[in-house]
Amino acid sequence: MFAGVSFLSAQEKYITKAGEILFEASVPSFEEVKARNNGVSAILNPETGEFAALALIKGFRFKVALMEEHFNENYIESSKYPKATFKGIIKEFNISEISEVKKELKVIGVLNLHGVNKELELPLTVSQENDTLLLQLSFILKPEEFDIKIPKIVSSKIAEEVKVTADFSLKQ
Amino acid sequence: MTKRRRLLIAVSLLLMGGYFAYNYMYKDHRDISTETSKFEISAPYLLERFKKDDAESLLNATMSVDGIITQTEEGTVTLDSSVQCQLIDGSKGLVKGNKIVIKGRCIGYDDLFEVVKLDQGTIVK
Repeated sequence: MFAGVSFLSAQEKYITKAGEILFEASVPSFEEVKARNNGVSAILNPETGEFAALALIKGFRFKVALMEEHFNENYIESSKYPKATFKGIIKEFNISEISEVKKELKVIGVLNLHGVNKELELPLTVSQENDTLLLQLSFILKPEEFDIKIPKIVSSKIAEEVKVTADFSLKQ
Repeated sequence: MTKRRRLLIAVSLLLMGGYFAYNYMYKDHRDISTETSKFEISAPYLLERFKKDDAESLLNATMSVDGIITQTEEGTVTLDSSVQCQLIDGSKGLVKGNKIVIKGRCIGYDDLFEVVKLDQGTIVK
């Protein structure tokens, strides 16, 4: 259903290769735990509402270099699991109902992170600005649900709930 | 006197330890733009290496990639529809069809669009 080739051959899909995902797991009074990736790929089929996104884990940048190193090497193991993907369908998606006003919808799909698949239903907003579709998501993930182990020694400095926001400006 | 000296040694050891610990915890990020490229490679060939699953040594490496600009999007440039690079200074002024060389860090393969991605890119020429 989501084979790369079938996505590329059809011209009517909305796509981006420069979407943004930001996550934050900061705990008050400790060092900020926050990372950003500005090269996230995403595809939306406006006819069916099918949506897919892919983020390369090494593309997440932290303010503190050592934190980025630990994130990659110890927690998320980016050499073993180089990417996070989401594949799903936006429920009741109808391109003709999309306007400049943010429309609240839901997307149901499977998130693959750290080699673990998890089915999720996430709220999202969709709006249109000229020829660009804007998709925004904001949700919470728990590292333990993806078998990501945080050592005890730092666990007090990293929140158990990770706030994630994603922004995609998709064009045809 | 010896007590004072011991105290002095203890304090200076502590300070040194603190200095090294701080430097370790707050070491600088890699500066890709000043690193020497480990590889010089054409965009289509870089993609081929990933498609053949022969790219482990390329991950995280600083490399120079040459190719023809096929797309620019939000601060990124795509070469030969094979390699996409996030540029530190954005993609303004880049013209489709021009041949360029970029330097960046290889972060992996995007099988959704079948492109290799680089970040922290700068334009070499």
